[in-house]
Amino acid sequence: MNDQEPTTRSFRPGEWFGIFGEHATVILPPTEKARVAALWEMVDGGSGFDETLDALIAAGLRDLPGFVLVSEGEGVTRVVLRGDARASFTAGGETVDLDGSAAGTWVERSLHDVTRMSVEVADESGPADLRITAGLVRLSRLDQPPRATGEEPGGAGPLAAEPLAAEPVSEEPVLGEQPGASAEFDGEATQAVPYLAGEPLIEDETGSQEAVPDEYADEEPPIWVPTPPAPPAPPAPPAPPVPPVPPPPAVPGDEDHDGMTQAGAWGPDELARQQPGIPGQPPAPSVTARPVARLLFSSGETVEVDRAVLVGRAPEARRFTSTEQPRLVTVQSPNQEISSTHLEIRPGSGADHGTAVVTDMGSTNGTVLVQPGLPPDDLQPGIAVQLIPGAILDLGDGVTIQVANP
Amino acid sequence: MTEQIRGVELHYGAATDVGLVREVNEDSFLAAPPVFVVADGMGGHEGGDVASAIVVEEFGRLADEGYDARRGAEAVAATLRASQDRIAEFGAAHRSRGTRSFYAGTTAVVGLLVEDDEGPKWLLANLGDSRVYRFLDGMLEQVSVDHSVVQELVDAGTITAADAATHPERHVITRALGGPDRAEADYFLLTLPSVERLVLCSDGVTGMIADDAMAEILARVADPRDAADELVAAAVRAGGRDNATAVVVDVVGLATENAYDSERQRVSLEQKLGALP
Repeated sequence: MNDQEPTTRSFRPGEWFGIFGEHATVILPPTEKARVAALWEMVDGGSGFDETLDALIAAGLRDLPGFVLVSEGEGVTRVVLRGDARASFTAGGETVDLDGSAAGTWVERSLHDVTRMSVEVADESGPADLRITAGLVRLSRLDQPPRATGEEPGGAGPLAAEPLAAEPVSEEPVLGEQPGASAEFDGEATQAVPYLAGEPLIEDETGSQEAVPDEYADEEPPIWVPTPPAPPAPPAPPAPPVPPVPPPPAVPGDEDHDGMTQAGAWGPDELARQQPGIPGQPPAPSVTARPVARLLFSSGETVEVDRAVLVGRAPEARRFTSTEQPRLVTVQSPNQEISSTHLEIRPGSGADHGTAVVTDMGSTNGTVLVQPGLPPDDLQPGIAVQLIPGAILDLGDGVTIQVANP
Repeated sequence: MTEQIRGVELHYGAATDVGLVREVNEDSFLAAPPVFVVADGMGGHEGGDVASAIVVEEFGRLADEGYDARRGAEAVAATLRASQDRIAEFGAAHRSRGTRSFYAGTTAVVGLLVEDDEGPKWLLANLGDSRVYRFLDGMLEQVSVDHSVVQELVDAGTITAADAATHPERHVITRALGGPDRAEADYFLLTLPSVERLVLCSDGVTGMIADDAMAEILARVADPRDAADELVAAAVRAGGRDNATAVVVDVVGLATENAYDSERQRVSLEQKLGALP
């Protein structure tokens, strides 16, 4: 069908805003007009997934009722849907249907080897599908590769009439409550061009040429920004590590409510939150096979350091994982000079591997460290210090810890 | 091991209420000393209540069969994994029968006694937005950190803790049992003297009444059974928009002989419920 131009996708005119760039596609609801210009600037400038998502959610999710963000690269298609938007993909021969309203925040997926994509954000209002490579349009749905039925520019005019009826044979029924979410796509998937592999999107001519002549559209797309003769878009800069972008997993199903609590479509790993430990310090091997040091307490107690040891008047450990349960050592402090969780000693990592490191946990009265052959030194809260055998830690109230070889 | 742990004298009470809005109580709880659990199920069509019941059942088995008190976190992790597998299986079975959108999931907060060289400790675990509080010297402190979108936003400094209470996405959680991925719980280890009262509750309690109202109840009501009842009743009075569940546990002291038989209390409770002849 489309043998003349490297058209990559088609859209159906509608109310939503579609922003098509080299590395990212964004679809926004009609209410979000104010955002469109800035996003167009970014997306047209070659922004990739992370930057674009960052910009989308910079002001918070609350004010953004819905959006779709799709980005392709290196055989992987990443998509985020929020709100009233539905998408259907054929990836690796399988059909994947996503519904943005299925999750309270958003639904995100990473898909490999996507051969077909369609996104539907509103009931179709446009009469005919138009092709687009890059630009800013009003749309109601998006298909990639372009919807098949004769939408070549200059092809049979009345294509709008027929494709809707064409029921997809290849498509499994989707979650019941998506009437026709994917029903319109009539199986052009045979064109298994891995278009993701980055046929260069030749923006300059195609952009304007793809604009279907008016006579084929009852209604012209409200906005049409032909791509300017594009300077070769710079490769998207490496994604800044900023956005809290979760990895793929979407919670299956959209019934995940108990009236209140809902599962978000978030993976367990993306949490921006610090793992337990000291900020800025590489996570220690949680538990070592052999102790790296032995601690001799002034009370007479002996504790081996094969895992984190928390020492204090009433120590407690917070937010650790099941494999790294620390040891708590309570020391007497009749004058309350020692804080409840005063310091931590644990096996060192990196350059400190094989030794113990001590960190003052922000104790009220501080900790004095005497390393062999060195003058006494105050520990800086939160800064880990390697312990040499023979070192002595003074916590106050007469409590000292001597470090010895295991 | 467990026997020694059971030497710690615990008084406890638990209460749950469907609330005024929901038709089904999807919360479940377990009070089987030394193991206590609250789980807040999610998912319609019997998904949530089954999911939370599975967690309670698995931890009930842990309490019955006993565990190595020196490796408490591993025991809890294994039990959470078993729960996750069963919930995932249950969900998959439903979906394969045609309910494509079926989803069953649940939060879980667990408190159990473990032991180290020094003696018994509270090991706490959390997945989701049910909470563990401790009450000490008249002060109520939230120990667990919610796995929720708003908590992430608070941590990131995007919103304040006060905003979180009214944020539209405050009920969206980021970790749960039953999701497609195996979520790892957060664990906490506290000494017994640092916890006069341990409170486990679902967000149907904490979402309805403020921390100071909870603290007032916990300070005023001595018997943990009454305290749990009052916490739940207050949540229902405040609107009862969600299932509300609370478990209150007091460490009374280290039992010497058979001073207070928490076993017996449990048996009598089960008798009351008809679980035993």
